Amino acid sequence: MDHASPMTRWLKGLALTLVVIFFMFPILWIVLMSFQTNETILRMPPSVVFTPTLENYQALITGKLVSSAGVLEIQFMRNLMNSVILSVCSVALSLLLGVPAAYAFARHKFRGSEDIAFTLLSFRFAPPLLVLLPLALYFQDLGLANTYIGLIWVYQLICLPLILWIVRGYFEDISPDVEHAYRLAGHSWFSTFRRIALPLAGPGIAAAGLLAFIFAWNNFVFALVLASADKQPVTVGALAFVTASGIQYGQIAAGIVLSIAPTLALALYAQRYLVEGLSLGAVKG
Amino acid sequence: MTERKPPAIEIDAVTKRFKTDVALDAVSLSVAEGETLALFGPSGAGKTVLLRVIAGLVEADAGRIRIGGRDMDDVPPEERGVGMAFQNFALFPHMSAFDNIASPLTARRQSGEALRAGVEKLATMLKIGHVLGQAPKALSNGQKQRTALARALAGGPRTLLLDDPLRNVDAKLRFEMRLELPRLLAREKATTIYVTQDYREAMALGDRIAVLEGGRVTQLGTPEEVYLAPATLSVARLFGDPAINTLKVTPQTDGQGPFVLLSDLRAPLDDGLSHAAGRPCVLGLRPEAVRFTEAGAPGAVAVTVEAETPLNEKTVTLVTTKRGREILVSRPAGTPGPAEGAAHIAVDSAHALLFDAETGARIAPRETTRRGAAA
Amino acid sequence: MTAADPDLQSFAPRRRFRVGARWLPYLLSLPALLVCIGILIPFGTAVFYSLQRYRLSQPWARQMNWGENYLNFMSDPAFWNTLQVSLTYAGLTVSLELLLGLGIAMLLRESNRLNNAISVMLLLPLMTAPALAALMWKLMTNPNFGVLSYGARLIGLEEFKWASDPSTAMLTVVIVDIWVYTPFIMILLLAGLRSLPKQPFEAAALDGVPPLFVFWRITLPMLTPYILTATLFRLLESIQQFDIIYAMTQGGPGDTLTVFQVEAYLNFFQSTNVGRSAALLMILWAITYFLSSIFIKNWLRLRERARGDA
Repeated sequence: MDHASPMTRWLKGLALTLVVIFFMFPILWIVLMSFQTNETILRMPPSVVFTPTLENYQALITGKLVSSAGVLEIQFMRNLMNSVILSVCSVALSLLLGVPAAYAFARHKFRGSEDIAFTLLSFRFAPPLLVLLPLALYFQDLGLANTYIGLIWVYQLICLPLILWIVRGYFEDISPDVEHAYRLAGHSWFSTFRRIALPLAGPGIAAAGLLAFIFAWNNFVFALVLASADKQPVTVGALAFVTASGIQYGQIAAGIVLSIAPTLALALYAQRYLVEGLSLGAVKG
Repeated sequence: MTERKPPAIEIDAVTKRFKTDVALDAVSLSVAEGETLALFGPSGAGKTVLLRVIAGLVEADAGRIRIGGRDMDDVPPEERGVGMAFQNFALFPHMSAFDNIASPLTARRQSGEALRAGVEKLATMLKIGHVLGQAPKALSNGQKQRTALARALAGGPRTLLLDDPLRNVDAKLRFEMRLELPRLLAREKATTIYVTQDYREAMALGDRIAVLEGGRVTQLGTPEEVYLAPATLSVARLFGDPAINTLKVTPQTDGQGPFVLLSDLRAPLDDGLSHAAGRPCVLGLRPEAVRFTEAGAPGAVAVTVEAETPLNEKTVTLVTTKRGREILVSRPAGTPGPAEGAAHIAVDSAHALLFDAETGARIAPRETTRRGAAA
Repeated sequence: MTAADPDLQSFAPRRRFRVGARWLPYLLSLPALLVCIGILIPFGTAVFYSLQRYRLSQPWARQMNWGENYLNFMSDPAFWNTLQVSLTYAGLTVSLELLLGLGIAMLLRESNRLNNAISVMLLLPLMTAPALAALMWKLMTNPNFGVLSYGARLIGLEEFKWASDPSTAMLTVVIVDIWVYTPFIMILLLAGLRSLPKQPFEAAALDGVPPLFVFWRITLPMLTPYILTATLFRLLESIQQFDIIYAMTQGGPGDTLTVFQVEAYLNFFQSTNVGRSAALLMILWAITYFLSSIFIKNWLRLRERARGDA
């Protein structure tokens, strides 16, 4: 590789530049758009020279869109709040359910353990609508339709397998003898779990939690089917927003930026664990 | 049985299978109060599994464990009063050496000054007082091993299980610890089971040695018994370095007593072995049970000297008999050896061991009237 | 010690039963298990629906019609369109993403500051919600001000309407899918590439083996398990794609992009035909079940290896 000719090096550089442009340009463009007024957005040809304005963000945050046609209410902050509530609660519940189960699967090869683990894993790959459409009808009867609780429960479909399989791998990496030693020192099973297993699997649990948060945040179809406007997260809300606000492109761009910013920031923060998490532990990062 | 004191640890017909592999096959042992039992055997013999069954970390399929006379069936590991040192140390990586050693004391709700004093006393005794604040990964292997040992001792356990604690430390440290451990164990007065793959460790540390092979106890006895009177050929092979010489022979007997032929010459056997005559056997000769001698001396066998290696305190010589059978001869280092080429050896008949070629069981000498007559 | 020893006989055989240890693992996984069952029930319901004539708008006409929904598919052009669109979408996205992902991974193979920075940057599209990514591209391809529409005009494509035109709608959503998911394949293959043993490559370099030969005969075969896992993983998701297509075009224009889940969604909520919707999803489920059973085998093998290396 070191002895590559200048020609190949040049070609490689060019290829990488194109790759970076293709993958980064949309994000960059949408960020630029979010700081423009509609007039500068609609200019042809498009230009990167403009006076940045915060009025799009202002409109979103105050929830009032002032236009020539009058004042329009925007629910966007509510959607953002819903995203936070749904993602945080879903991950918390997943951790509560998934970490003990992951520990059981890692440490005890009991009858049926693999079957349960695989059933949970298979949820990750089954068409979500298959479960969602009957649930939409059930939820009406159960009174869970359009509730946070119902949504959080369904979000377990994505969060739980992720947490179970990643955290299980981290528990398996802890030498059982370390736990045995703690028990022989006179500590109960539970105290061993709390003082040895949990802290040692800590980084893995944190990484799995972050990833589950990202996936929950990015989910679209669950809320599309099961939630109406006041419970919708940003993914569904943004789509509705596009339809409702019509030509307020600046605000739409700002809304998208606000919606993707949390996951992108978390991804950068947790990048070390992403490879392992995305492959459910099949590839070490 | 001379004493009627109940054994501190009783292992009663313990069987453990992993899928189809039998790890322990109806193992029964008992260890007396304060005794150190060396559990010796090749890797995969089931030593570690047995230790874990005693500690309650592995559940046996059948059989039972009693500690201090109490059935351990329903007793979880933390209530068995057992201290254990693991082969891979198994230190808590997220705690300092101090907290590692203190863990049995915190389980007893000890804290403050008493706890600190307890840990420091042990640490000083084991010469790790200066590294107590460090994390396990900052410790050398020797320090890790001592920390693990201190942790096992900290709770003042009545039963101490040591799983090959010297396996992962370097040779120098192993030598030091082999001298130091018996003193330590004597001071702690704990009943100890010491697992090892090293026969020297077993002999140095064990009041008795239990030899475990393929999940069965093949011999239980004092170090001398196991070494000098191994129950089987394979036990004989496991003890001794260089390993015991084994030669396929068929003993004969004549007016002078039993003998075997080596280089077509008569090598006498113990008088009590005449009943083995005519049976296919394996002759086991420890290298130190063979010595060089003059031609024409009684029992002298002509051999060819092939090679010589100094081995610490002894010198080992490889010789071949007329029929090309190889025999190792050991003698104290510094004593004069044979010249190159032809030499003669004599077998110390009292220490020659005879095993049945088929079963591998040792053929014990019988009390003979002849011996009495000779005396 | 013999069996006659009175001490021994006092211990009569007794059933061993250590409550805590025996039931603990079940207890620990019980909550997860309950969630599991809670999800299996609606799954069972979906199977049931798929065997019914069931329209939300005509609840009185609801009745079992057994395999009729499935049989009807045989002569239903809309179904064949769905199958064809889904397979085209999955085939196009996964093959292009694999090629691109492998290419980029090869470019970034050497671990240096620049390459690592680029590979972290490439994570960002993957972490963008696909539905939002679709909206971003929708803005960029807006016929009035979209920078890409302008770009198309610059290179002489005056009437290039991206997702609004049936002839280019597929191309547009495929590009969005590529934008979001190529990084997934890339980072998996990059991790795979960087974990390969160095010796074969050093030996090949010493022997002056041409780079193309090294790629085909050494790199590619050694990378195969990773490629297989990444491809199957993507195939499983791609055949079920909903977010990007729904957010971008809602299956249109016309029926150009009515992939399985979109068609099922529209059937359920627009034509309220629950039976047909459920039957469609069952067929999709059968396809994904087949794919996932192959995938899981591969993935387990790879996972075993990754854990072994740890």
